[in-house]
Amino acid sequence: MVNAMLVLDLVERAKTVPTGATFTVALSGNEADLTAATATITGWCERTGNELVSATAHEATVRHGRAPDPLAGIDPDQLPGTRLWMYTNFDCNLACDYCCVRSSPQTERRALGVDRVAQLAAEAVEAGVKELILTGGEPFLLPDIDEVVAACATHLPTTLLTNGMLFQGHRLERLRAMDPERVTLQISLDSGTPEVHDSHRGKRSWQRAVNGIRIAHEEGFRVKVAATLPAEQIHELEPFHVFLDSIGIAREDQVIRALAHRGVSESGLELTVETLIPEVTITAEGVYWHPVAADHDDQLVTRQIFPLKNAIDQVRAEFIEYRMRADAAAAWFPCA
Amino acid sequence: MKPLLIGAVAYTPNVVTIWEGIRDYFADTDTPMDFILFSNYGRQVDALIDGTIDIAWNTNLAWVRTVAQTEGHCVALATRDTDTVFQTMFVARAGAGMKDLESLRGRRLALGSKDSAQAAILPVHFLAEAGLADGDVDLLRINSDVGKHGDTGRSELDALRAVLDDQADAAAIGINTWEAIGRDQLMPGAFEVFWQSPTYSHCNFTALDTLTDERVQPWVDRLLAMDWENPVHRPILEMEGLTQWVLPKLEGYKSLFEAVETQGITPRW
Repeated sequence: MVNAMLVLDLVERAKTVPTGATFTVALSGNEADLTAATATITGWCERTGNELVSATAHEATVRHGRAPDPLAGIDPDQLPGTRLWMYTNFDCNLACDYCCVRSSPQTERRALGVDRVAQLAAEAVEAGVKELILTGGEPFLLPDIDEVVAACATHLPTTLLTNGMLFQGHRLERLRAMDPERVTLQISLDSGTPEVHDSHRGKRSWQRAVNGIRIAHEEGFRVKVAATLPAEQIHELEPFHVFLDSIGIAREDQVIRALAHRGVSESGLELTVETLIPEVTITAEGVYWHPVAADHDDQLVTRQIFPLKNAIDQVRAEFIEYRMRADAAAAWFPCA
Repeated sequence: MKPLLIGAVAYTPNVVTIWEGIRDYFADTDTPMDFILFSNYGRQVDALIDGTIDIAWNTNLAWVRTVAQTEGHCVALATRDTDTVFQTMFVARAGAGMKDLESLRGRRLALGSKDSAQAAILPVHFLAEAGLADGDVDLLRINSDVGKHGDTGRSELDALRAVLDDQADAAAIGINTWEAIGRDQLMPGAFEVFWQSPTYSHCNFTALDTLTDERVQPWVDRLLAMDWENPVHRPILEMEGLTQWVLPKLEGYKSLFEAVETQGITPRW
């Protein structure tokens, strides 16, 4: 009759804590007793809408009601797995002094390859992904970038990140092979005049990027511009916005992001898995938490890229765990 | 408009969450409200009668006592759907051979707190209706949450423990406690119901009849509009134990009025 008393204890203890909080009930006995007790608690929880959090040889921890949905407060567009980032390659024609993934002309290519990209894009649809984002390195260094992009755009709206400097010759032909109805280009530009941009990315890179924006527009592409700026400069943006307006970039396509202390950058925001809403990111090496740390082991989620749904589920589960831990810490230190 | 002040008794930490949720539901309407928590129903009924609060979320006993103290100058405004079909369950150890209330003759019945309608007052009333007079059944009273009219459920759990510990042969508990322990399905061989009462009414929102319709009716209309399918409303409804606010079923209080009278239960406190 131990289990009958246990149920009475569960009912009584649950009423002493608010919904969402946990309580414990003592357990004792041999292994069979504990197994039976755990089964009783599980059954009671299922029937009454409570949640068994953990059970040891001495006590069970039960949540009164269900835990609040840790993803409830998140913008639907930010839910992990809504977008899928893919690093097509890591080599680049530039060597920006703040590159978060240490790309440069000397960096090994480490390409995902069109076959894996095609499989990822197909599985992304099944996994509920709404948008694909391709980045590098500089994707236009790849001789088959048009095929890589086509493999994605066939399935989902696709954004291709580029420095916009290589739209000439056969690379321009590859751009022209892409479908402007399905592909958006996101070109990096850090300032409204050459000085700041060139100081980080190299001489004449600003002018060539601006030319690239013009060419992309002429080819019929929607162009977003992404600037990477130190956090202290982010409040001085109006002249930059005015410049972007003048070259035909819609305000909603003017993306300003803070510099991250990652890769070769010596300063910037410290971003950890605990403080960063994940953007599922695939590289040739595996699945990463966020594109800003796509060659940093601290944000490697798994080496197993396929099946993609498992990778997304894993990122989401870890994210939920971090948020629940943060919520618990907030609840534990209400006055701190 | 000046908010309506609603009184409620704090019998669980969830009461704060529930009433803040209900208050938020009425915010930005023509009938805003706030709430005051009391530690017992006696104090709450006093506050209703002296005008400290406009409306009291009362148990059935608190309703009966308000009627008695105001000589009927009070109204029941609304109730939970679950309050209109409340029941008392008489339970015993499975296999104890209990068949009906008559089976209790000469045996021990554990009751909950003396001011619990479902676990003490009405069970004695049902025994009397079944022809069991004082002394025919050995009553074990467990007054572990007096003042809260049995709301905590603790005295009913203690009554069940008394049965398991062989200090009693049966226990009288509310159907809500029977549901909370998973009926007889989570503990096979532990308890079985051998008699269940007719349905009766339990809690209601009580106001004095001096509160004008103009003040109260829009509030009641708004309350009745809370929607189980609305994800914002639902957690509040779940915590308060209902799926829909409804109009009270006054005939469901008849048995308690009779019980209070025949048992000589005081009209106040």
